[in-house]
Amino acid sequence: MSTHTYKKFESGDSGDLPDKMTIYQDCMTQFNESPVNAKRCRILISRLLRLLANGEVFPETEATALFFSISKLFQHPNDSLRQAVYLSIKELSGISEDVLMATSSIMKDVQNGSDLVKSNAIRSLSVVLDESTAFSAERMLKSAVVSKNPTISSASLVTSYHLLPISENTVKRFSNETQEAVVDLKPFPQQDIIGDYYPNSTFITQYHALGLLYQLKKNDKMSLLKLVRQFADSNNLKNQLAKVQLIKIVNELVQRDPQLFPQFQGLLYHWLSNKYESVQIEVTKVITSFAATNQRLVSPELFAVAVQTLQSLLTVPRVTTKFAALRILNRLSMVSPDKILICNPELESLINDSNRNVSTYAITILLKTGTEKNISSLISTITKFIHEVSDDFKIIIIDAVRTLSLNFPQEWKAILNFLIDVLKNGEGGFKFKNNIVEALIDIVSFVPQSKELALENLCDFIEDCEFNEILVRILHLLGKEGPFTSNPSLYVRHIYNRLVLENSIIRSAAVVSLSKFALSKKDTSLRKSIVSLLKRIANDPDDEVRDRAVIALQFIENSNERISEEFIQSKYTYDFQSLESVLSVYMNNNSDSFETPFDVSNVRKITEDEAKALELKRKQDQLHNSRLEAIETCTADGSINNERADAATYAGPSSAEDQSELLASKYADELLSIEEFKPFGKLINSSNVVSLTEPEAEFVVNGVKHILKEHVIFQFNITNTLNDVALDNVAVTCTPEDPDNAILEELFSIPIDRLLPSTEGAVYVAFKKSEEIVMEGFLNNLTFTTKELNPETNEPFEGDEGFEDEYEIDSIFLNAGDYIKNSFVGDFTTVFDELPNEEVAVYNIQENITVQEVIDKIIVNTSCLPLENTQFAQSESNSHILKLFGKSALTGVKIALIVRIVKSSKGVALKAQGKSENATLCADLINSII
Amino acid sequence: MGNLFSSMFDRLWGVNKELRILILGLDGAGKTTILYRLQIGEVVTTKPTIGFNVETLSYKNLKLNVWDLGGQTSIRPYWRCYYADTSAVIFVVDSTDKDRMATASKELHLMLQEEELQDAALLVFANKQDQVGALSASEVSKELNLVELKDRSWSIVASSAIKGEGITEGLDWLIDVIKEEQL
Repeated sequence: MSTHTYKKFESGDSGDLPDKMTIYQDCMTQFNESPVNAKRCRILISRLLRLLANGEVFPETEATALFFSISKLFQHPNDSLRQAVYLSIKELSGISEDVLMATSSIMKDVQNGSDLVKSNAIRSLSVVLDESTAFSAERMLKSAVVSKNPTISSASLVTSYHLLPISENTVKRFSNETQEAVVDLKPFPQQDIIGDYYPNSTFITQYHALGLLYQLKKNDKMSLLKLVRQFADSNNLKNQLAKVQLIKIVNELVQRDPQLFPQFQGLLYHWLSNKYESVQIEVTKVITSFAATNQRLVSPELFAVAVQTLQSLLTVPRVTTKFAALRILNRLSMVSPDKILICNPELESLINDSNRNVSTYAITILLKTGTEKNISSLISTITKFIHEVSDDFKIIIIDAVRTLSLNFPQEWKAILNFLIDVLKNGEGGFKFKNNIVEALIDIVSFVPQSKELALENLCDFIEDCEFNEILVRILHLLGKEGPFTSNPSLYVRHIYNRLVLENSIIRSAAVVSLSKFALSKKDTSLRKSIVSLLKRIANDPDDEVRDRAVIALQFIENSNERISEEFIQSKYTYDFQSLESVLSVYMNNNSDSFETPFDVSNVRKITEDEAKALELKRKQDQLHNSRLEAIETCTADGSINNERADAATYAGPSSAEDQSELLASKYADELLSIEEFKPFGKLINSSNVVSLTEPEAEFVVNGVKHILKEHVIFQFNITNTLNDVALDNVAVTCTPEDPDNAILEELFSIPIDRLLPSTEGAVYVAFKKSEEIVMEGFLNNLTFTTKELNPETNEPFEGDEGFEDEYEIDSIFLNAGDYIKNSFVGDFTTVFDELPNEEVAVYNIQENITVQEVIDKIIVNTSCLPLENTQFAQSESNSHILKLFGKSALTGVKIALIVRIVKSSKGVALKAQGKSENATLCADLINSII
Repeated sequence: MGNLFSSMFDRLWGVNKELRILILGLDGAGKTTILYRLQIGEVVTTKPTIGFNVETLSYKNLKLNVWDLGGQTSIRPYWRCYYADTSAVIFVVDSTDKDRMATASKELHLMLQEEELQDAALLVFANKQDQVGALSASEVSKELNLVELKDRSWSIVASSAIKGEGITEGLDWLIDVIKEEQL
């Protein structure tokens, strides 16, 4: 190789990778040479490794050829070359299938090699051994584990760890040696030391040994407990990672069995004052994440000390530590913001931290812990700060402010001013501005008081805005909200300016927006001027603008007010999911080449209030999900997933809201497609999915209640989890709980003919009911005939009559909440005061459940939408006020509830106060909230 | 400096040239035992070789690079990866294993057909002569059809790796042939 190319390859900073094929060719010639030039080969391998580390891959044939030529280097006894060979074997093991050819040579080094190559040899064992050869390495690994040399011992432990999935039995045989290795402090051997430098051992072997030991014992709770006790008490655990690992084991134990927490409390307390920051971080993480789910078991003192520890970690100079502490505080801020208030001074000083990750995190935490008192001062702090950070951080901050506006609607003025300020004065790209505008739109739609101020400022903003998308959105918002403000003509001027000055996209949006003002009730004189404006626009050079103007004119000048209102200021939108499915059905059933027009009446319509309710719910859920994530992040995988997977817990499975919506429209579609239900008319409401069996039952059943105008349909989804048994004639018998006073009259039921293994089917039971709200509970029995399946044909054996069986499932209740759809209202207090027909009910719950659990249960039972952020209990307080709003699915009657919850030592007391336009509905709902 | 001179001399006399020798044969024939008998002169306890062992030894002023490749069925396909630049092949046969003589013969002839081994000398060890019922060298030669081999220097030697008999004799022959033909 010439010096020229040599230079080019070696200049480390250039970032140029050596050419793949050149390296390959060089390897093939150099490695096959005889005798081997050790130094040159080592350099060549390092280049090859650099290629591989940069993600270059070789095709399998070439990789195999490379491996075999590298294996030839085993003939050279040079230790450093051998180390390089091991590294390359490990790297190539992923692409070349034939690495087992190196097994014997590696094992020879493990037994007879110098200490220098021994550890490398042991580490590469993990990639060459397979199930059949692992046992032959057992003795070697075992003796290496007990080696006095820390690197060799570590190598062996790590290799054993990686061998676990390959051959668990082999590794299990040296668990005693592993246990010894945890407490054995291994310094570096003296004779290896050259010169004055004597490296201090970090005792990393302890960490590796503990990690392996945990893997060996992780399914045995008692031995894990013993393990923790043994290692926590002794002072032998010197390595910080090993300590962190031990804390993780404690975390795993308490997550599996929360009752164990008290006995670890002293230990955790002790660890909080450990000299290593990583240990402190890990302990606080365990304590806080455990407290998020099991608050009762954590003593307040411990929690307070944990927060203090975090507080002191915020002032250390190391960025990583600060960042880790901030992350934990951020999680806490979502669950119990009140508890970390003491950290606020430190957080505030971090706002000016030179590391922007740290400062942004600090700000978002501050925004979350913000109370009504300090919001305005907080906002003035970030106003100064926000102009100095990059766009990405700005967006994070804006998002935090946006959630703030949903949580503290009463603070809208300060938030609004802040947003307007950054919108007008902030430098930033489209994404940043768009986020601000979205936040403003949120405020406008959920905080009605802020409407006029926000709209005025948005008008100012569009006078000088360079982004088409944002302009269009604002014009739409103006059209939607403007006509109902006190002075609509103000906005008309701004919109008209756009019509004169902007491009065709914006002009067409402005036309639509303008036309909506024509129907303004507040200022009837507007109509005439808008008509004349539109007439002028009807000469616009752009087709789209012209078309829109002409259509708008037609509607406005139409004498039928209902039509013009419906088309210009439409009060509802279609449910897009159901619209899509109905449309695709229409497109597929093209039997008469679209002679019959598309019937839009089957598509679910969503009124504005409902749409807002959905959106608010989605936003709350986002918040909630992030909270759940915060709680679950630390919880060990899968250890708490044995909850009943249903929607009965509001917090329930964190699966996205979209999914349950999809499920609802799926059920509705299924229902509509069944012939028997056609005469019943339209589906009015479907309940959440309620599970009626334990999830591990042989037959998993869950139920959905569908409400129709004069009928109720129970849908039972049954899953056959058995392997080789089919269920025939699956039916559900529903018996009223109180047969004497049964109101619902069973009409018919649709059984499943045959339910094959691992499939789901639905049984429907239909009832006739009056138009009133009917509440009733039913005892349910699953009846079926089991038939064993012939595994070859997957059909029952001939002549097998099967035998009949019964299976009792949980009762299903039709209650008032099933008739309610959640709905949004901007000003809850006023609406509540205005509604007639008050009902009050008082409950006492003798169980020991938390306020949050009660809240979740009420929300599920009433199907109402929690407003003003009252769905989260303050963690410390024992009382809570929950505000709920909904509408009857049958009549659209509004209902508002205020539930006061007080928790005492005896249990939980509730006082529910409901107001509605319909007295019976109100009474019914109030009497079944829990 | 001294090193430089000696290496120059070595090169002049062709002494520094390393000779590649492969030891092949079915599993359990005694290849690894022969290798270490050659290297350290002792009998070592061996395990079935997964892969290969390679040792460098000096013999009569020659540097030998001896590769002992595992004989298990799963490893035999990989033999060919090590054929390049091979001066000689030592094929070891378990003389007591009459049932697998045919297999050994097949593997031997298959191997010798390889292009890369056309110039390699062949030494067959009829190993395990110390055991009762072992076939003699000529019987093994017949079983392996060695007479059929054309254009190749070959020899068969009765040996016992355990007792150390026949090994040096065989190697002496091999070195002589290589010196004559290839150096």
